[in-house]
Amino acid sequence: MEIYLPIAEMSVHWLALIAMGAGVGLLSGMFGVGGGFLLTPLLIFYGVPAEVAVATTASHLTASSMAGAIAQWKRRVIDFRMAGVMLAGGIGGSVLGVQLLAILRRLGQAELVVAAGYVVLLGTIGSLMLNESWRTLRAAKSSTPRPPAERHHWIHALPLKMRFYTSRLYISAIPPLVLGIIVGVLSSILGVGGGFIIVPAMIYLLRMPTSVVVGTSLAQIVVVTATTTILQAVSNYAVDIMLALFLILGGVVGAQAGVRLAARLQGEWLRLMLAVLVLAVGLRLLYGLVATPRELYALTLGTP
Amino acid sequence: MRRAFLVAIAVSLLREPASAEDLVSGLSQDQIQITSNYVGTDMVVFGAIESAEAIPTATARDVVVVVRGPDADFTVRRKVRVAGIWLNRDRVALYGMPGYYYVASTRPLAKLAAPDLLRQYQLGLAQVAPERESTRLAKKGEPFREAAIRIRARQKLYTEEPARVEFLSYSLFRVHVPIPASAPRGEYTVQVYLFRDGAIASAQSTPFFVDQIGLERRLYNFAHDRPLAYGLCTVVIAMLLGWGSSFLFRRPA
Repeated sequence: MEIYLPIAEMSVHWLALIAMGAGVGLLSGMFGVGGGFLLTPLLIFYGVPAEVAVATTASHLTASSMAGAIAQWKRRVIDFRMAGVMLAGGIGGSVLGVQLLAILRRLGQAELVVAAGYVVLLGTIGSLMLNESWRTLRAAKSSTPRPPAERHHWIHALPLKMRFYTSRLYISAIPPLVLGIIVGVLSSILGVGGGFIIVPAMIYLLRMPTSVVVGTSLAQIVVVTATTTILQAVSNYAVDIMLALFLILGGVVGAQAGVRLAARLQGEWLRLMLAVLVLAVGLRLLYGLVATPRELYALTLGTP
Repeated sequence: MRRAFLVAIAVSLLREPASAEDLVSGLSQDQIQITSNYVGTDMVVFGAIESAEAIPTATARDVVVVVRGPDADFTVRRKVRVAGIWLNRDRVALYGMPGYYYVASTRPLAKLAAPDLLRQYQLGLAQVAPERESTRLAKKGEPFREAAIRIRARQKLYTEEPARVEFLSYSLFRVHVPIPASAPRGEYTVQVYLFRDGAIASAQSTPFFVDQIGLERRLYNFAHDRPLAYGLCTVVIAMLLGWGSSFLFRRPA
């Protein structure tokens, strides 16, 4: 049965949406990522306007990170104070990003910036992951321990120090605040939750205990993506509630299947697969930017 | 509204007693409702040519049916390659283009009337023109207008089908006008022209409405009229579904 998406203004088969949600959910369950970086490009390939894809993915991420955040909250492994500081930055970043997207849309450059942003993002993350998982796989064979990560002393020289009890840290509020801003901008312009940036930054930059990292990042992603969804609805009228509903329904089922599937696979190979996938999506988007388009003209309704 | 005026003139001219033939036409529906499972439908335009006296069969008779959707403003942008990447640069705004356009005739349009007449009544895809266009490019709007027509045609929103109007008998004709799911909402007009020897002998104009009904329409209105409440609703649903899934699929401890 075809359903009509009121905001994207297109007819799609509901099974296609469920399948897309489930596919991305499966991957996010397998790899423990939000999946926004896969869902947004997928929707764009499918013909959903870029700003609708970005805005609707934000609401999908609210649902998927909510499920994870609740599980973590029950285990009392969320540093609410840290999440709060990051949120202050995150909400500011989201406001900034949504306004930026509105301006880009008026200039007719929204599609370009979203695609280019993804190429850079996916290219960087994909290469880093590929490199890392390749080295881990080789190291596992030769069994040489990896060198310990370098300490970042400059973090401790910053002012505005705060005590984070759950994380057992006494650090400046500036790095988490800046991190929050970056994630807020990314979530509103690219429709990603930013977990792949927050998690490494929390571990290597802020040096938070690994046990609280996942819960804290999920909690802040829930609120940032929720804020982004509301702002996108208000400023850009770009959130498609029908699209979101079907993607979420597919996503929650897919995620559960993914978690179970991941338990049977080897972690290193899993990460290698994800890296290849990320790079493939990035390359496909890059191709779209450089290949001579079949139609040089683009038509949008309304005049700026 | 220039076109409505032209049609009115055409209609009034044709009421003159000199016209030996008169045109009556009708539509299968006066309203098309786009619902959640709408995949497009056909509007049937039918009509008859009533003649008071016998017309010599040698006279060339042609029927042209034009369907226009509500006027819309388009922005057309052209991509250029900058440092290897294609990006939008030049821009033309086209005001008052038809949101939907369909023309069908009994013979190819070029064969049944002079180019000037076709242009005047905007008969044919190539004749579709905006009421006004604005661009900083001096006299460069033409390729943009052509591109707009080409793109809308690819989306099945602009269509030209010569020889599609079929005569069921000597005086009875019919055509199926496809209305896709992406057709814009609003008032449409069906204009039926009877051509005789390359001149308009009779014309008739009938409106119909395309509307979204049911859930989609209400959601669209909700999103545009009360965006804050709409956004909050989406978030609450997302959170509930997320919460519900963690509850439903609780992993065995």
